[in-house]
Amino acid sequence: MHFAPWLWYSAVTLVAWGIVGLLQKLSTNYISAESSLIWLVGGFLLLEPLLYPGLAVFHYSRWNLTWALLSGVLNALGAWALFTALKSGGKASIVAPLTALYPLVVIMLVPFVLHESITRLQVVGVVCALIAVLLLSA
Amino acid sequence: MQSALQEETVVTSKHRWNARWFWYSMICVLCWGGWALLSKLGSREIPPETMQFLFTVGTIPVCLALLIGAHGRLEKSPHGITYGILNGILSGVGGLALFAAYHSDGNTSLITVVTALYPMITVLLAITILRERFRFIQALGLVFAAVAIVIFSL
Repeated sequence: MHFAPWLWYSAVTLVAWGIVGLLQKLSTNYISAESSLIWLVGGFLLLEPLLYPGLAVFHYSRWNLTWALLSGVLNALGAWALFTALKSGGKASIVAPLTALYPLVVIMLVPFVLHESITRLQVVGVVCALIAVLLLSA
Repeated sequence: MQSALQEETVVTSKHRWNARWFWYSMICVLCWGGWALLSKLGSREIPPETMQFLFTVGTIPVCLALLIGAHGRLEKSPHGITYGILNGILSGVGGLALFAAYHSDGNTSLITVVTALYPMITVLLAITILRERFRFIQALGLVFAAVAIVIFSL
């Protein structure tokens, strides 16, 4: 087995977000999902002084800066849509696995947008991972 | 009996297509799919720290809209606030690592799929820390997740 750098980075994300999932459960025991999201952005803002890029930010292309900003908008809009789905009568046991399937959108678009492909064995891995996401979120 | 069951299935699926929650779930899937793809596009040039900085700036308008929708009223539970802020810090750390993965030469689909497996850590922590019951379906999910990770590491 060989853990490529991307797999190590992804493992850090996996663990950090896995803990977030637990804290999310604990936080919504005390406050609403919307308040929880607002305080989560509060946590993001605490990190901002450490990440502040200064004027270097203007060295990047306008398009890439737009993608970076839009990624934040879409992430937060996705969270809002999830809360609204749950409030509109969707059962958590159905909504959570359904929304966890967002990688499918990426998998479908990547060959056209980024011209990347994956091997047959990796396709098997992707299918296993998507089944795992469905089962674990249910 | 069977026809009654079929009728019920048709009614349920009809309800699902008409249900607002279903379409909000689809909006969520599209938004999060778009978020992952745009994160990769931006990360090709921009380093992870700056990506996380800009990502946070992007979340602010939606956060403000939610705050206005709540008429500026937020619950004041110290526990809730602490967990919420900790969520943000850890989400930020996870986001930084995700942008670093996208910034590297890794395959976008594989990175997105692997990081979406985070519920497996939540399930393991919920069982060990919150003493939640370990269900068969979760055990099966962990097996599939392990197989996927082994395949990606080959």
